[in-house]
Amino acid sequence: MREVLNTPFFGIVLTIVAYEVGVACSRKFKLSICNPMMIAAVLIIGFLLISGIELETYNLGGDYIAIFLGPATAVLAVPLYKQLDQLKAHLVPILIGILVGTLTSFAIVMLCAGIFQIEEVLKFSLLPKSITIPMGVELSKSIGGIPAITIASIVITGITGGVVAPIICRVCKIKHPVAQGIAVGTASHAVGTAKALEMGETQGAMSSLAIGVTGVVTSVITPILLHLLAG
Amino acid sequence: MRLLLQLALILSVCFIGDFLHRVCGIPLPGNILAMLILFLLLCTKIVKVDQIAEMSDFFLKRLPFFFLPPTIGILAVYGVLKGNLILFFLLSVLATIVTLAVTGKVTDILVNIQEKGKKDA
Repeated sequence: MREVLNTPFFGIVLTIVAYEVGVACSRKFKLSICNPMMIAAVLIIGFLLISGIELETYNLGGDYIAIFLGPATAVLAVPLYKQLDQLKAHLVPILIGILVGTLTSFAIVMLCAGIFQIEEVLKFSLLPKSITIPMGVELSKSIGGIPAITIASIVITGITGGVVAPIICRVCKIKHPVAQGIAVGTASHAVGTAKALEMGETQGAMSSLAIGVTGVVTSVITPILLHLLAG
Repeated sequence: MRLLLQLALILSVCFIGDFLHRVCGIPLPGNILAMLILFLLLCTKIVKVDQIAEMSDFFLKRLPFFFLPPTIGILAVYGVLKGNLILFFLLSVLATIVTLAVTGKVTDILVNIQEKGKKDA
């Protein structure tokens, strides 16, 4: 019976249906907790766990969708280009903001790791959590983390960013669209950027920019900071 | 431009990004390089926004959808984490909230200072 599912169409259809259910829920309830991606991920994971269907079977189709991560990331250049004036006008605050965010992410992971006495390998796996998956995997490997754990924390980070972004912007009175976008992109990479695009074109563009810059800054300064702390 | 041609154009940019990463060894992921290249093509007006409008809209409007398969991959990490699962989850969430708040607040303050400075000048 299980052989029926050994086709890419199973994973593709499951993903589309779960995503559309997520979108429908978020339209209906209009709460940021009802994030379409989070709902879809919970539905798919729940379905696979309950039915006992292997991740490999799902990935027969999932891999086809994942191919399109490339073009989906590339076209983030479009909102960025449209907001070129905003970028030029606020270049210095943007770069300082991203640097501060990167350092904050590093500090909070190191601090919590110290307080909760987390194993070294888990700590190293968590440090690249705010950057995009391919960059995070490379950084994780180079500082002695486990890439699979890094991917999981990147994913949780992305969904969290999408869910909490509007709430945090309201609570902390982060009002400028440039600041909102930089915050989301720096903290929660491309997955959070999906939410930033919903918040507005400027937010989406700034978040897109922050993905790349944060990735580069994190990849460069994390090994240096670890080296300094160890020395 | 026709839809499939728009897709072909965007995928060509991805192809170049992948090429630069894998063959030329540039230490940035192909996806990020592709974004950078497309940005430069738009800035130099070699590619115009209209030429890829529909297709880029298609991707941007359902961006999270394309991130679902790697997300489902967290199932694989379940066994690796064992007892640390809850701590791992809470730490990831907490660090994200703090990073988002600090980055946003600092940028917000700096942007406002800058805009005020310009008005006064």
